[in-house]
Amino acid sequence: MTHLEIKELSKVYFIEDKGIKAVDRVSLRIDKGDFISIIGHSGSGKTTLLSIIGGILRPSSGNILFNGDDVYRFDENRLSEYRADRIGYIFQFASLLPVLTVRENLLLPTIFSTNGVHNKEKVLDEYLGMVGLGDKKNAYPSQLSGGQQRRVAIARALMNDPEIILGDEPTGDLDEETEQDIMDLLKKINLERNITLILVTHDTGLAKDAARRLRMDHGKMEEIRGNGRNK
Amino acid sequence: MKFNLLTVAVKNLKRKPFRTIILIISIALFVSILVFGTSFFISVNSSLERTANRLGADVLVVPIGARQYADEALLETKIRVFYMDKGMIDRVKQIEGVDKVSHQTYLTTIYGLCCTIPPATVVIFNQDSDFVVDVWLKKSLGRKLRKGEVIIGHEAYENFGMFDVSRSTLFGVTFNIAGVLEKTGTGFDNAIFMSDENLDAVISKGKSGLKPNDISLIFVKVKEGYDPYTVSRKIEGEIIEVDTIERSEMGKKIIGTFKDINMVFLITIVFASLLSAFLAWTIFSAIVNERLREVGIMKALGAKGSHIVIMFILEVFVLGMLGSLTGVVLGTYVSFSLSKIFSFLKDINVTLTAAERIGVGMLGLLTGTGICITGALTSIMRMKNLEPFTAIKEA
Repeated sequence: MTHLEIKELSKVYFIEDKGIKAVDRVSLRIDKGDFISIIGHSGSGKTTLLSIIGGILRPSSGNILFNGDDVYRFDENRLSEYRADRIGYIFQFASLLPVLTVRENLLLPTIFSTNGVHNKEKVLDEYLGMVGLGDKKNAYPSQLSGGQQRRVAIARALMNDPEIILGDEPTGDLDEETEQDIMDLLKKINLERNITLILVTHDTGLAKDAARRLRMDHGKMEEIRGNGRNK
Repeated sequence: MKFNLLTVAVKNLKRKPFRTIILIISIALFVSILVFGTSFFISVNSSLERTANRLGADVLVVPIGARQYADEALLETKIRVFYMDKGMIDRVKQIEGVDKVSHQTYLTTIYGLCCTIPPATVVIFNQDSDFVVDVWLKKSLGRKLRKGEVIIGHEAYENFGMFDVSRSTLFGVTFNIAGVLEKTGTGFDNAIFMSDENLDAVISKGKSGLKPNDISLIFVKVKEGYDPYTVSRKIEGEIIEVDTIERSEMGKKIIGTFKDINMVFLITIVFASLLSAFLAWTIFSAIVNERLREVGIMKALGAKGSHIVIMFILEVFVLGMLGSLTGVVLGTYVSFSLSKIFSFLKDINVTLTAAERIGVGMLGLLTGTGICITGALTSIMRMKNLEPFTAIKEA
């Protein structure tokens, strides 16, 4: 069964009464456990598409069907629950709350989850260990490097046991070594936990790791490499 | 360690301590004015009411033209003397509706001239007919006063301070101090009491200026089923030499005097509340704008509009409570301090009961926190339905 279906999705921004199509009639079917990369230049509509899939930006037209349910027909509360329980979002910018420690940043999404994450502290320790930051539990984001902050953001995205992880340039601004570490980590999550992974990147080298590669240009999408799970 | 939205709210407040403190101080000042003003208003009103009730009389009969003096002597603890002829007692007893009567005679001490204590009112009363002082006397002393004995009011005793009052001379007669009355919250707290068995000795010394048939006022209890107002009018109608004061009328002049002061407090409270609400609105508008991206991130992580509102409300609540608590303490302290500094407050018993204090404190807490939340609410509600992506991009 198709896990996520994107049908004729468009997003038009209006700047000084002039409509700009950021996403132009994009359609796509995604199966559970797929690893998809979306490449494209800046302004091609990648982030907009990812945001719409993640339930954080309403499309102008078209549908996102998650397990057959049209996400944007949900009321505000159900849409929030979709974001909390189904999606793990990794932003392209530093997204940790600066006043909270690593532990607290990781626990934050669990407050919003309706699933009720059991043994939160155990899960937290497990994910922190997985991203190699088990000793940074009580550190504040300002005490971490850019790479470490990204790792924490990845661990945070996993806390509510999501079905889809959306990564918006998850390795942007990082050195090559850290970049590869994080990519390895994401691939591991995709393989071991059967979590659907959709990554947006402008780095074609990174995109090669994905089983399905898509390109966006002026809001339109084309598939470069065919279906299949990551090997 | 439990982690919830309150933890986030408290941590957010610590982010900019100076701004947090400014808002706390603003709320604290508003609440302290509110607490002080309300304490003042309640204490004046309830003190007068309490005093009138504790006197146990329905009607007071005083010499004609001495209404104000009686008010001042009984309610404001001022030293006032006024006299009428003792014959009035029997005339009042004859009036229809009068059940019991009791009388008192007031003298004033003059240190060095007649007496060995500082100025105070001396209340001479008849122990057989009295229903005013007797209750307090029994409570404090457990027996009747003997000839040559006096008992001192609570405030008067405190005022005497360095004076040795264990054995005092009053109007040339030496008295033993039998005890000190418990605080009554009336003008009698500032008085010295003796029974009228000592009257002959006092008058014979000639230092009091008192004549044998002088009395100051008559307390009247009306019979059941009779209206004090009607009885009062009858007394005034039939005895031309006296004025009457009903219990409900006592302290009206003082309340009138304090009306303007209360109005000043009210206006100050209104302005202070508006200022606090405006400050809360300004600060939270800034806070909300600063945290737009964080709110967007939280929403992207699954926070509902209600989560965001609750988080901000908790911040305002904690701020409001801290400010209000500080304000309650400050306002209570000020009301205590000022009652000792200002003479017009010293003249009445501005003591609140514990229940009244708790009530005023609760009022301060609720109003302070409420004003803070009201001021911040419009800014907070703006965040409720904000689309996560828009919030992140607008930041």
